Amino acid sequence: MWERTLQDLIRGLRANKKDESKFIAKAVDEIRKEVKSEDMELKAGAVLKLTYLDMLGYDMSWASFHVVEVMSSPRFHLKSVGYLAAVQSFDQDTDVLMLTTNLLKKDLTSAPADVAMTLNGLSHIVTTDLARDLTPELISMLTHSRAHIRKRAILALYKAMVKYPEALQQGIARLKEKLDDPDPGVVASTVNVLCELARRKPEDYLTLAPQLFHLLTTSTNNWMLIKIIKLFGSLSPHEPRLVKKLQPPITELISTTPAISLLYECVHTCIIGGMLQGPSGHSLAKMCVSKLAAFIQDADQNLKYIALLALVKIVPTHPHLVAEYQDTILASVNDQDISIRMRALDLVSAMVTPNSLQSIVQQVLSHLVPDSSSTAAPTAAQSLAQHTVPGSPTAFKPLHMSPSQSPAYRLVLSQRILSMCSQSMYENVTNFEWYLSVLVDLAHVANVDVGSQIRDQLVDVVGRVKGVRRYAVKLMYTLLCDDTILHNARDEGTCSEVLWAAAWICGEYCSELSEPQKLLPYLLQAEMANLLPEIIAVYIQASSKIFGYWAAEVAQRWDDDDLAEVKSTVDLIIGRVREFVSNPDVEVQERAANTLQLFTFIQADLNAYRPRPIIDNPFAEASSSFDPMASGEPRFPKSLYLIQPLHGTYELNPVALAAQASVPIPDGLDLDAWIVAPPPEPVAGDDAEAKVRKVKKGKGKEVNGSKAKSGKKKHKEEANGGDAVVLMAPEGDTETPEQREQRLAERRERMRDDPYYLIDDQPSTSKRVDDDLDSIPVVRLEGMPSLTPGEIYFILPIPTLPSLREDYTPSSSFVIDRDGEMPAGAVAPSLVPSRTMTPVSPESSTPARMMSSFPQYEVDEIRTSTPEPIKVTRPKKKTPGKKKRTQNGSLPHVSNP
Amino acid sequence: MIHAVLIFNTSGVARLTKFYTPLHQSSQTLIPKIFSLICSRPASLCNFLDAPELEAFLGPKGDEDERWRVVYRSYATLYFVFVVDGAESELGILDLIQVFVESLDRAFENVCELDLVFQFDEVHHILAEIIQGGLVLETNVEEIDNSVQLSAKLRKESYASANPLSLGLGVGGAGSRGGNLKSPLGWLTGKITGARAM
Repeated sequence: MWERTLQDLIRGLRANKKDESKFIAKAVDEIRKEVKSEDMELKAGAVLKLTYLDMLGYDMSWASFHVVEVMSSPRFHLKSVGYLAAVQSFDQDTDVLMLTTNLLKKDLTSAPADVAMTLNGLSHIVTTDLARDLTPELISMLTHSRAHIRKRAILALYKAMVKYPEALQQGIARLKEKLDDPDPGVVASTVNVLCELARRKPEDYLTLAPQLFHLLTTSTNNWMLIKIIKLFGSLSPHEPRLVKKLQPPITELISTTPAISLLYECVHTCIIGGMLQGPSGHSLAKMCVSKLAAFIQDADQNLKYIALLALVKIVPTHPHLVAEYQDTILASVNDQDISIRMRALDLVSAMVTPNSLQSIVQQVLSHLVPDSSSTAAPTAAQSLAQHTVPGSPTAFKPLHMSPSQSPAYRLVLSQRILSMCSQSMYENVTNFEWYLSVLVDLAHVANVDVGSQIRDQLVDVVGRVKGVRRYAVKLMYTLLCDDTILHNARDEGTCSEVLWAAAWICGEYCSELSEPQKLLPYLLQAEMANLLPEIIAVYIQASSKIFGYWAAEVAQRWDDDDLAEVKSTVDLIIGRVREFVSNPDVEVQERAANTLQLFTFIQADLNAYRPRPIIDNPFAEASSSFDPMASGEPRFPKSLYLIQPLHGTYELNPVALAAQASVPIPDGLDLDAWIVAPPPEPVAGDDAEAKVRKVKKGKGKEVNGSKAKSGKKKHKEEANGGDAVVLMAPEGDTETPEQREQRLAERRERMRDDPYYLIDDQPSTSKRVDDDLDSIPVVRLEGMPSLTPGEIYFILPIPTLPSLREDYTPSSSFVIDRDGEMPAGAVAPSLVPSRTMTPVSPESSTPARMMSSFPQYEVDEIRTSTPEPIKVTRPKKKTPGKKKRTQNGSLPHVSNP
Repeated sequence: MIHAVLIFNTSGVARLTKFYTPLHQSSQTLIPKIFSLICSRPASLCNFLDAPELEAFLGPKGDEDERWRVVYRSYATLYFVFVVDGAESELGILDLIQVFVESLDRAFENVCELDLVFQFDEVHHILAEIIQGGLVLETNVEEIDNSVQLSAKLRKESYASANPLSLGLGVGGAGSRGGNLKSPLGWLTGKITGARAM
């Protein structure tokens, strides 16, 4: 009979720290016996011990029935143990709760102490069922003679109404009466509850405004005043007259109250309650901001923190007022306290304007720079030094345990930089060259995993802002040449994904480079095997693009001396790509294999090439459509033109989000039509099932677009009578030989056209047979008649090109293609305005870079020389409906780099 | 409303955990997380805990008013942590923590950590006089103390009537057995034995 009490248990726990789990297992075994005891004292003791263990994280849900038993004890000290255990361990799914309804009802009519305890317990354990059954009792409690009980009843009623909203109407009416309760504590509790309710649905509580207003002007209880002020903060946005009425007393409170918490709530309510609009609001706004600014400069860190919280909310409406304190706020980003830093970052990002963006971003970026700048890449350090705005504290030295070192915080910082710059489609970025350099710096210093976000930004900016492409290529070139990232590619936080963007940009816009072939050795370093597979794939593709562009260029000014360089470059590519042909990653493997085959062909052609006079050109007569020029054979190896058209035929533009949806469906295209008639399903009788199956088949074959016509025909047939045939087709043994023969014939007929079946008995007439292996190269060259040198020489002003591309002047304004490209025949009429507003998209369907090395940059320079400095091309607000969809374009095509 | 009240000591051992809103993650992982963030903060910093590591716990981003805030205060060897939402005044909660601590101090007379360890049920009863179901019930220390004393007295009487042979009070609620001499001096005894066990 020497059971452990709670005290014994706690002492035992403290004495058995080394072997706690064993001790607890033993204790729980004892408890399991004790809770089953007939002795209520013992049972309650066990439940209390369990409650303690529950707090330590041990499960006690198995004992919930015993908890109810203890709750039902008539003795107050035992009952309180039961209620404590219930409050701590029950949740909404505890099944024994439905047994408690009558117990709670009884306890609510018991002695005041019991009632208080029951109300407290009920506020925690109330479920929808309990709320429904007990709301009448709770409402009658509101008029209890003791203020203490009334207070508890009000709070319990709130919890019940949350669970059982049907009680709201009646409850609110009674709560309204409680605002006039003689006891100030009861009124405070009522205000407290109303404040919670009004946050959920403010409109329903506007009628309480007069009473609350009376309380506001008469009460001196700061706790309650804070809540009333908060409550008005929820109400006033829904009642403009309330704003006018509230302004005088709140202004009065702000200037007189000694309680800072109340002062702060007043300021906060002014901001969120929309009281700062209009002429009368302006002086109030000024007062609020000056109070908050005083908080920020206060020595008390808590005031600093809440001031930042409130300023974030005032920035959207009164940016100019907050901007006066920009330096103080920026200094808070340097605060040693991470809580304050987080809020300051929020505020700073809300304050960003085109003018302040650069200094703010540099400031934030400087926090990411490691203590010893030696680890930072030289490019990052240089450009930081270049771009840092004078005056901002560049020599920021993190403290010993600076929050800047925590990876989670660094990630927040990095993402914040990206979101500040990219928000509202680069609204605040005036200099995209600066932004690109920020992105590269970020990749170097971030040391957290934001590489993929930086990559997306780089590609997006370069795709949308044509004026920045030349600079981007230059920057990416240096990034590819700098092998720090490449060497550490597999380390955590290296941001090696920027190399993806670098390779893609250099490949896609290699026309900006004067000597693109010089980049190839960097793209084809042996270390590239360290990179992620998707980056390797882009490297391979970019190499191919650059070679294609360069080779075509070499061909235009062919000199037999070039042969050696071209040959060695091809050898370099082949040598590197061959390593990846059996790469485990399927994308790398496919691209490597494709590239390898193409370049092997080029290599063979180059080897066969003999400087003129050309006597035996193997390609001259190979194709029937190729008409050799009278003036003679081209002087260069023709395979130099093999690659270029594969990549450079169309310019990749950002595509508008709505583009796919607005592609008009061509006349006569019926997507529901059968492409290939459904096979005669051997279904006996079940109509519905047959139809379901047919639909499935049809969907599967829709992909095969080339068959649309024949399919349609068959569909018609089927509509006429085919259905019947299908449904009649009998199953297995009930089929007569004739029917079977007929079915097989139909099947053969169908399969002849199906590319997925090989038919051996009748050699088909497909072109595949003609593909004699020897003629393959001929067929490939045949597709490029437009590349004959004669045409090219007329188009291009070749001699001036390299020098033209060298001279580079940074442009001060950029055109952003915000909308993205829309298909040529977009149907939706409401899209038209947005298209006309986009000066960048007219060449959307022109094959801009076919053979032209004429830099795009020139086009943009002409455009940007117009007086307006920045063309922000945004769709007109007047076009409703589609506006949202067209505003943000998706990324440029990057799926096929 | 107030979503949670936590007390833990400077070694991260929880002395009181009270959740008014069911958590979407285990409290057993949350407390160490909050503790590790708080204990690394020097006293000179502000009393609001805001850290990137806590973002997920504090609720969805964007709706600043609905986000939870962690407000804490440290007293001697204990951290008092309140988790609240936008309906509560940040500075008000700091005052409320002070009210809670003062009430504990009145009930235990110079409250120390061991009081909370051995009388965790009493701490819950005191908290129940200040907060009910996540809403503030009373903020006046006098009133709170009166209610606490009243219900403690009722529990004592109830215990005495059920155990006429017992000599003292059973603040623990359940009957103390094993010749437990609980007199007014019992407080001291409890403290001393507790201290020794420590």
